[in-house]
Amino acid sequence: MKQTIYLMAIREALDEELQRDDKVFILGEDVQQGTFGTTTGLVDKFGPERIMDTPLAETAVAGAAIGAAQAGFRPVADMMFGDFMYIAGDEIMLKAAKWRFLHGGKVNVPVVIMAAVGGGMKLGAEHSMIPEAMIMHTPGLKLAVPSTPYDAKGLLKTAIRDDNPVVFFYHKGLLGLPGEIPEDEYLIPFGQADVKREGSDVTVVATSAMVQQSLAVAEQIKDKVSVEIVDPRTLEPFDLDTIIESVKKTGRVVIVDEDTKRCGITAEIGMQIMENGFDYLDAPIQRVAAANMPIAAGFMEEHVLPQPKNIAGAIEAVMA
Amino acid sequence: MKEIRFVQAINEALEEELSRDEKVYIIGEDVQAGTFGVSTGLVHKFGPERIMDTPLSETVIAGAAVGSAMTGYRPVAEFMFADFMYVAGDEIFAKAAKWRFIHGGTVELPLVFMASMGGYAKLGAEHSQSPESMFMHTPGLKLVVPSTPYDAKGLMKSAIRDNNPVVYLFHKRLLGLKGEIPEEEYVVPLGQADIKREGTDVTVVATGMMVQFALKVAEELKEKVSVEVIDPRTLEPLDIDTIIESVKKTGRAIVVDEDTKRCGVASEIMAQIMELAFDYLDAPIQRIAAANYPIPGGFMEDYVLPQTKDIKAAIEAIAD
Amino acid sequence: MELTQDQLIKLYTLMVRTRKCDELIVNALKSGKAIGFFHSGQGSEAVPIGACTFNLRDDDYLYPHHRGHGIGYMLARGLSPKPFVASHMGRVAQDVEGPTARERGIHGGSGTIGASFVLSAGMGITAKKNGKNQITACFFGDGSANRGTLHEAMNLASVWKLPIVWVCENNLYAQYMPLKDSMAREDIADLASGYNMPGVIVDGQDVLAVHEAVKAAVDRARAGEGPSLVECKTYRYRGHSEGGPDISHYEPRPAKELEEWKKRDPIKLFRENLLQQGVLTDADVERIDKEIEAEAETLEKYADECPIPKPEDPSVLDRLLYAE
Repeated sequence: MKQTIYLMAIREALDEELQRDDKVFILGEDVQQGTFGTTTGLVDKFGPERIMDTPLAETAVAGAAIGAAQAGFRPVADMMFGDFMYIAGDEIMLKAAKWRFLHGGKVNVPVVIMAAVGGGMKLGAEHSMIPEAMIMHTPGLKLAVPSTPYDAKGLLKTAIRDDNPVVFFYHKGLLGLPGEIPEDEYLIPFGQADVKREGSDVTVVATSAMVQQSLAVAEQIKDKVSVEIVDPRTLEPFDLDTIIESVKKTGRVVIVDEDTKRCGITAEIGMQIMENGFDYLDAPIQRVAAANMPIAAGFMEEHVLPQPKNIAGAIEAVMA
Repeated sequence: MKEIRFVQAINEALEEELSRDEKVYIIGEDVQAGTFGVSTGLVHKFGPERIMDTPLSETVIAGAAVGSAMTGYRPVAEFMFADFMYVAGDEIFAKAAKWRFIHGGTVELPLVFMASMGGYAKLGAEHSQSPESMFMHTPGLKLVVPSTPYDAKGLMKSAIRDNNPVVYLFHKRLLGLKGEIPEEEYVVPLGQADIKREGTDVTVVATGMMVQFALKVAEELKEKVSVEVIDPRTLEPLDIDTIIESVKKTGRAIVVDEDTKRCGVASEIMAQIMELAFDYLDAPIQRIAAANYPIPGGFMEDYVLPQTKDIKAAIEAIAD
Repeated sequence: MELTQDQLIKLYTLMVRTRKCDELIVNALKSGKAIGFFHSGQGSEAVPIGACTFNLRDDDYLYPHHRGHGIGYMLARGLSPKPFVASHMGRVAQDVEGPTARERGIHGGSGTIGASFVLSAGMGITAKKNGKNQITACFFGDGSANRGTLHEAMNLASVWKLPIVWVCENNLYAQYMPLKDSMAREDIADLASGYNMPGVIVDGQDVLAVHEAVKAAVDRARAGEGPSLVECKTYRYRGHSEGGPDISHYEPRPAKELEEWKKRDPIKLFRENLLQQGVLTDADVERIDKEIEAEAETLEKYADECPIPKPEDPSVLDRLLYAE
């Protein structure tokens, strides 16, 4: 094993896959420099023909990636901020998501749509979103939301090799997170949740930065409550079984998500637990998510985004 | 009272509001002819300056509506098919929804985004969607989904008079539906659910076309099960109180929605029922929604969209 | 109409104030006082000041370019810089004198680049419908000129003869992307021919040239003759965003390029011009600098005293979300 950080893990995955398969290329605004460091330096090794700086045109970035994927390449489109994906709403949610289905399964779209997501940096309503629900809601898109360097690398390699469109969200607040990864090549299959912490009193389901927040809260209250933390790692495909197994043991569930609460993933996961594990529940499921507001800028953002105290409060409530 | 069709009810609402307030205008592709008839004929009375045919450019239709609303007009922007609203993703979900909030409440956006929604017309994946969840998930957008001519007219008038962006989705298969409306002017306030049929055994919550489906099934089953059908009429604001009152009475709830199931409206309403009336539930809540696939073209759509037989089976199962 | 001496001095003073406010935020970010992003507009002050100070009526609409986060446009429109400074420190401005942004037709800015085009088309519809010869001025950069929204909005504006003046602040770079690699033509003004409207190129370092070119476009729009495009050739001195690298693609921008452009600094050029004409004396220049320096110090202290928002009452957020 070796020590790395989240953003280096992403860069390594890109590097290895660019090396392995010459059909892989990266396109996006300023990917040669790498706005968040995830693609930085790759141009030195692979050249501007494969690390392609585009004009400021998100619609063309996504659309061109999808078109190239339909025609046999395996592009990774970097949208910079997840918020900007709305600009390519038609291309991502209609074209990438539906193309194979509409064409009778005859055309594959092996594209990765990658973007930095999440708040905590006081960047306001249009540079802080983590639009997980929109992607999870759209049939045809897979969605990976890594919470550790290990997961980030393994999931991105799988994403690039997948023959379907995959949205890969890396969290801005996790870029410097340290962690261990194997020296040797490895992949993480989609649809396999990971128990990030074992416990027996309450199951906390969380993704991305909320996994790290939940781990911190679990550690703080470990003398009072034994918290199990399950990280689905991919929201589509979704590993409900691991969650149900945990609920059978604990009987209590808190779901934590950084995206907007209404019609969000906490409602969806909550309902799937209810549909498949109602008899194991000792208390109503608690959900913690962003308030039904745009993400406020500056110091106001903490009044909209979920905070550790909200997670602690929900654990307390479900244990009561 | 007079009998009128759904399409005429919308047309009347538009005509009355265009007459009442000269700041109101309609903008969209082919609104002078009216693709679905909802704006047909208005150009004769109000002229092309107020019934404005645009180039084929959904992004500018949405964006121009936002720009003109924030400077004092009350545009009704028509997108023809709700599916096309993804083309203006940034303008609808980031600009219209957030502008007031991110500018400290100093700007008002009195506009209506109007589009046809829904399937059962064999029009395929990109002309059949009911993207209710996308709008309900996005803070800052109100969402109206009428199921009867009476509601269609009264809610459109409220939508136009509201000082916030309102998405108004009319179901293309309800346009010919006949119903009674008052001779005199009336409005239906946003955020008031309507009990479309009273009952005591099971609460069915449904919007749009699904209300008509639920009413049909309730009638068929009336000898066996007493079904209460609740139509929220607007999903934001959502009148959860009326739903909870009904669930307290029946102890059983089914939520029916035409949009895709995953992260959909049904999961959100179910989560809220769980949170507010867990102790009144005699059985797990059931949800019926479109399967997690794009909507196929032609006869295949039956296998993805919710059908009356699904509602019937769910009622029979939950009432057992 | 020739500008009076007072007007010339006002243009100069506004450019110096614009730069000072910009520097204030750059420094506040360095010292950790300011929060979030800042995209400096240093080097391009002649565009907002030349275009907006004397060409627009109070009731015209204006969509600012994001460089300098719009400070030049706000000052040109007679707004107090207090909210600009306070908000960059994450604070709520207090005791703001003078007109509000809304009262001067500035209805906010967008976090996604290129939304400006279509929203401005809507403000153009408003201006036309109002029938009071108002116009809408939409400012944008060379980066956003690559967005599809430009096509949709410029086409609609031309077809409907909307009273819009499109002004490009072409500073040769998007975030890190140089214009030469992002557009097949050198001149953004050339796009105008595709929409059958006038497109002119102007020296964006020359505040009077910008004033004149935009004036002609504004007059045309006000006369009901439709939109025009004015491309101002300019440069930005700093990197895209404070704290980020100052590069072209992934390599440092050529130092010589910056040097050459700084020789044509818009403030310096205009100062020399006014000194030469005798409109300003060295003593005037020194006095103006001192006054603006003092204003900046006052502004910084003022911002320190403005409160950090604390919405203990969540209904504050609800009121922001929806209008009554």
